[in-house]
Amino acid sequence: MSEPILSRNFNIPNAHKLSVAEPRGAYETARKVVGVLKPEDVTNTVLAANLRGLGGAGFPTGKKWQFIPKDSKKPVYLVINADEGEPGTCKDRYILEKDPHQLIEGILIGAYAIGSHKAYIYIRGEYVKPYRNLQAAVDEAYAKGYLGKSVFGSGYAMDLVVHRGAGAYICGEETSLLNSLEGKRGYPRLKPPFPAIVGLFGCPTIINNVETIACVPQILKNGPEWFAGLGSPGNGGTHLFSVSGHVERPGVYELPMGVPLREIITQHAGGVKGGKALKAVIPGGMSAKILKADEIDVKMDYDGLKAAGTMLGSAGVMVMDETVCMVKMLYYATKFFSHESCGQCSPCREGTGWAHKLVTRIYCGEGAVKDLDNLLVIARNMEGRTICVFADAAAWPIQSYITKFRAEFEDYIVSGRGKAVAAGFVSAGAHGH
Amino acid sequence: MGYKGKVCDKAAPDFSSKLTTLDAEAARIVARYDQKGAATLTLLHLAQDACGYITPQIEQWVSRWAEVTPVHVHGVVTFYSMYHQAPVGRNHIRFCTTTSCVLNGSEDLLGHVKKKLGIRSGGVTADGKFSLEESECLCACEQAPVMQVGDDYHGQLTVKKIDQILDGLK
Repeated sequence: MSEPILSRNFNIPNAHKLSVAEPRGAYETARKVVGVLKPEDVTNTVLAANLRGLGGAGFPTGKKWQFIPKDSKKPVYLVINADEGEPGTCKDRYILEKDPHQLIEGILIGAYAIGSHKAYIYIRGEYVKPYRNLQAAVDEAYAKGYLGKSVFGSGYAMDLVVHRGAGAYICGEETSLLNSLEGKRGYPRLKPPFPAIVGLFGCPTIINNVETIACVPQILKNGPEWFAGLGSPGNGGTHLFSVSGHVERPGVYELPMGVPLREIITQHAGGVKGGKALKAVIPGGMSAKILKADEIDVKMDYDGLKAAGTMLGSAGVMVMDETVCMVKMLYYATKFFSHESCGQCSPCREGTGWAHKLVTRIYCGEGAVKDLDNLLVIARNMEGRTICVFADAAAWPIQSYITKFRAEFEDYIVSGRGKAVAAGFVSAGAHGH
Repeated sequence: MGYKGKVCDKAAPDFSSKLTTLDAEAARIVARYDQKGAATLTLLHLAQDACGYITPQIEQWVSRWAEVTPVHVHGVVTFYSMYHQAPVGRNHIRFCTTTSCVLNGSEDLLGHVKKKLGIRSGGVTADGKFSLEESECLCACEQAPVMQVGDDYHGQLTVKKIDQILDGLK
């Protein structure tokens, strides 16, 4: 890849300000689109670019936009999911904080394509600095007439509201996000009806991830063939890969879709920290099934990782070296999911709690080998039995850690070394509330 | 997310004069949304920033502006981890204890913070200067281990760096 696209302004000082972003091309494309092109042509261009939802689901963006009813009497909303929360992921924060005008330009084009005159950005509550930069950018865009009653003087009206969340991972699930945006507890909704038909305030709504919508201006600027050609077949463009854990250079790397996982770790992130051996990699955020060291010759796109039995998810790559204890990592994974379950569906509310109790028992040296089988039974009974995919996401680490590292789990239990772990844990003060 | 702190705190201070000063901003917030109820989370943020935590009186104030029931507002407050139902320290610490931070040593660092401040998770120091919360992923994994103090993220933490940050606060 020759030049960065999404990340081109990340290292430019003050690129979050219009005075810096505009001379670098911000709003150039939206000006040529809004009120100029036919909305359906914009959608077809995005469809032809093979842009897929970069929040995790990978659904073709153009196709999603086409689900909006053509003859809707109700207002149409565009909602941007900036509730980044998937452990291992930090990419959207860069766009929000360092290049918010890129996002606003994408929103203008996307909203125009679906016939929406009002968009909301739902940003996670903890992102205070990104929120301030984003809100300042929105204010600048309003002051210049890039948002408001007549965008670029085209007569097309567009309003944009930035809405802060308040600390709930589940609100990254799109229907939970809609409830939260409506001022309610973030409980996911049953689908169908899908948000494109009955979404925000009961109106047709498209929910797109930050990075997805930030790709849109570049697609319109350079053409769908160009964008599709950057990635792999059916997976257009580049992707921001968040790389963390045991690597020499953790960071956010913009690379073509389909880049080999091994290349990300060994070349871009500088290899495993301290020259240690690799043990495992989580390729797509906490919810993605773990890969063992000998399974990392995979292409990082939706189809490549699906074929490897896991998923690209949010492209949060977490690297673990040979010293990592898988029992400990499963303890923290189950802690996360039991804390973040919204509590609406019993299999998830109870299942995540039971799983965390069982794993805690094992981690503290009180477990039995049969607990491993019970954990797998709990995981199986969570999968596919709830309103949203949170329960599936909670089941996958349990299943993949235990099946792929079964011998290590059994050895940990049989050796009884968990008792020493528990003692060290308590004396270090890192345990309990 | 669960139950946090006392809900019916008879000793809670009277925030009515503070809330009156927020009325103008509350009106602007409500006008931004297509339905008034949607302003609930934003109004709670506004009130908490001014008053420090959410009391039943504040829930009533939000319910009047958002035109929802007080019990609806209370349900929202208990659902989201960022709303406090009891006073927190002047510097509220969210210490990340999810995968990438754990891989980079957050267990020992959290232990250091607890010892240094003499409090457990959920606690407030006697002088009201600090409070501590174990947080799930703050999504700054490239800088792990990470904590948030007030509004600010701090990454690549070490014992020395934590001491410098916390000792430098008022």
